[in-house]
Amino acid sequence: MFSCLKHKVGEVLLPGDEFSFQPEDTISLTDTVKPEKVICGPGLRRSGDRLLVSKSGVLRTKQPNMFWVDSQQKRYVPAKGETVIGIVTVKSGDVFKVDCGGSEQASLSYLAFEGATKRNRPNVQVGDLVFSQFVIANKDMEPELVCVDSSGRANGMGVFGGGGLLFRVSLGLIRRLLAPQSPLRAELQQLFPHELVIGMNGRLWVKASSVQQTLIIANLLESCENMTAEQRRQLFRRAAQGAL
Amino acid sequence: MKDTPLANCERDFLLKAIEEKKRLDGRQTYDYRKIKITFGTDYGCCFVDLGKTRVMAQVSCEIVTPKENRPNEGIMFFNIELSPMASPAFEQGRQSELSVNLNRQLERCLRNSKCIDTESLCVVSGEKVWQIRVDIHMLNHDGNLMDAASIAAITALYHFKRPDVGIQGEEVTVYPPEERDPIPLSIYHMPISVSFSFFQQGTYLLVDPCEREERVMDGLLMIAMNKHREICSIQSSGGIMLLKEQVMRCSKIASVKVSEITELITKALENDKKARKAGGRFGFAESMPQERITALKKDETPVEMTDVTETAYDIVQKAEAPPQTVPSPVLPVPGMGQVGLGLQNSWGLEDDEEEEEEDDDSVEEQEEKVTKMEVEQHRKEQSSGDVVEISDSEEEEVIILQPEIPNRGPKNAGSSSDQKGAAKSKKRQTK
Amino acid sequence: MMEVCGSSNVSLREFGCEQSLLSRPDGSASFIQGDTSVLAGVYGPAEVKVSKEIYDRATLEVLVQPKVGLPSVRERSQEQCVRETCEASLLSSLHPRSSLTLILQVLHDDGSLLSCFLNAACMALMDAGLPMSCLFCGVTCAIHADGQIITDPTAAQEKESRALMTFAIDSTEHKVLMSSTKGSFSVHELQQCIAVSQKASEKIFQFYRDSVRRRYSKTL
Repeated sequence: MFSCLKHKVGEVLLPGDEFSFQPEDTISLTDTVKPEKVICGPGLRRSGDRLLVSKSGVLRTKQPNMFWVDSQQKRYVPAKGETVIGIVTVKSGDVFKVDCGGSEQASLSYLAFEGATKRNRPNVQVGDLVFSQFVIANKDMEPELVCVDSSGRANGMGVFGGGGLLFRVSLGLIRRLLAPQSPLRAELQQLFPHELVIGMNGRLWVKASSVQQTLIIANLLESCENMTAEQRRQLFRRAAQGAL
Repeated sequence: MKDTPLANCERDFLLKAIEEKKRLDGRQTYDYRKIKITFGTDYGCCFVDLGKTRVMAQVSCEIVTPKENRPNEGIMFFNIELSPMASPAFEQGRQSELSVNLNRQLERCLRNSKCIDTESLCVVSGEKVWQIRVDIHMLNHDGNLMDAASIAAITALYHFKRPDVGIQGEEVTVYPPEERDPIPLSIYHMPISVSFSFFQQGTYLLVDPCEREERVMDGLLMIAMNKHREICSIQSSGGIMLLKEQVMRCSKIASVKVSEITELITKALENDKKARKAGGRFGFAESMPQERITALKKDETPVEMTDVTETAYDIVQKAEAPPQTVPSPVLPVPGMGQVGLGLQNSWGLEDDEEEEEEDDDSVEEQEEKVTKMEVEQHRKEQSSGDVVEISDSEEEEVIILQPEIPNRGPKNAGSSSDQKGAAKSKKRQTK
Repeated sequence: MMEVCGSSNVSLREFGCEQSLLSRPDGSASFIQGDTSVLAGVYGPAEVKVSKEIYDRATLEVLVQPKVGLPSVRERSQEQCVRETCEASLLSSLHPRSSLTLILQVLHDDGSLLSCFLNAACMALMDAGLPMSCLFCGVTCAIHADGQIITDPTAAQEKESRALMTFAIDSTEHKVLMSSTKGSFSVHELQQCIAVSQKASEKIFQFYRDSVRRRYSKTL
């Protein structure tokens, strides 16, 4: 039923493109007919019995029947469950205001840290980086962040960022970095030992043993935006040999 | 819109890197970023790329009356626009401290250094002189706007040509470029500004700071100099104490940078001149990088016109002809008459006026000739509603909204007027 | 670029586009039609001033920056035309209480400026990844004194023409989203110009597709 969608996977779509679903002409007699469900991700919208594309990018799919448009945008729009790197801008009473690149500052309660109680407040200063997760993120409400998972553990979240470098890349590159078995990440690992924090909001934080190495990694990542895998491998090879 | 705040870790890292003589983009302490100069199709239009910072300058001229105290000198006018395109922190039409500073510095660099022969801009002494206006637009802010602006401004002034004028007795004629070749401005020297930023109370120094370096710097020193090593203006801001040796060292560095940049500008001007002489293509359109993945160009394309005339004819034919005859008069209430669209009752009932407006709103979105008929019907419906005197205002609203519904949809440009209509009907309901 | 018109020889000047060429804006594009060129930058969805906040959709602001001097009435009316077109195609209700800012900078005006604004705006909005229900493009037609239709006229052709019309056309149904006209013309001529613009828009939409495809070619 969604053959037309599957057909287009990996192709470039533009806003205004649409898919219409007609019931199939032939009904298989052997298979039981069950209603198929399709999950539309970013860039796809349902309108009646049609599916409209609202962003330009490449159509991607994931089993079973998940479709979305992968685009190279820069501006972040908060989504529930995503982990981001935020910058604390205001400390007011019992919430922190955090800038995470969206249209509105997110709030982060001081109780939403591991082990935090009313007495035992976390040590957070204005200008600190927090790696945190969205619990509320929708268009009509103020976004809210937490630094604990559902069982109250930090799970890698919290205040961080002593000595490393923060920089911005496109959201598309972030998704490529976060993809399971990302070749980009594997290649980076082979260069030198380093720490890397990836925020879904397009912010990256890197720390290597020296300033020089930190800068190399940051500049490599910034330049991989528009490169084929082959070009990237060559660049990394040169970096590893110390040519850069 | 606010700018992204600077995180503490960024500040610490930048300062640490500067201590180790490292910069974010791998430059050395005294290195400039890559400078690229391109010209527009007009005379006096220049684009400067300084790394990611991008600036455009356009020179224009007009004849004005001179200032009273300087009757035979032309006027130079500089205007730096901090367009919101360059950075979200810049606001349209607001004079910020930064823009005042930049304007001031540029004026001192280019006007007060007397690099332009303003007396040659005089047409009739005390009556008519040329005013040369330099508009500088910041297109992308990645630090060191001043240097980029000064390079763009002086290059554009060198590139600019003003129309020739002839004076016969009292009459002044400005010749168009087709009749007489326009003439370039006479410029004595080429002042260029070089910025130095200081960190840790002046312990460390960087040339050509980028945006993030500018955010953590303690002080800034701008030196405008020409290639003869004459200092045209010097300004220190940020309130740091500088030693005499530091200023001397900066001026030495500036002289090296200025001679490099001067050479680059001269070369760029020559290249452009050659391209224009050869009659080839030049200007911004030609400077678009073809090899970039984000750029694409398409040659001149013909548009098929085969059946256009027929289609247009068909549409015109299919469309209902506008009513030629005056429709019969409608009597909404005894004692009132209304004919067609032309006559409106002027009995000053408030409700009626509103109805008119609503009609207009819905009309806008359709082709005029088709709607004329519909509006007619529409009005009849409404007016008949009035006669019946419905106490329940809800029914009335249904009548008003209905003809609008089919208009909604993506094809309407005037969605705002749509809303206006809806809002109005709500108002009525509350009444 | 002489267009011999009236027959079957209407053409668009060579056109080009570069996307995301500026580092600061969320989306940017430069669009070139012959010698006319425009640079567009988009910021958003970003924080909105309380005074401009709209509770159910994003506030779109369009700023046109002329090359010389400050924005005047002419620029205001162009801003309005572009804004209304963008509002019709953007799904602004998906980002309520936020601001979208579109800045258009004239780089060179050699005729058909409004259509170049529209094309640059569309490419920049696409680059910014804002949700849109359809794409749009702008086509300018000039009617010469002898009745010939010229598409994408140069400044000289605009000056000689009897009437000038710019249409914004959407990509799904090729309907007219916005029209701006100057001068006098007959109904038949208007329909003819719309039909020509619709034909021309197909070329531009194909170009949009090609350039986006080229852009993503390495990440396919």
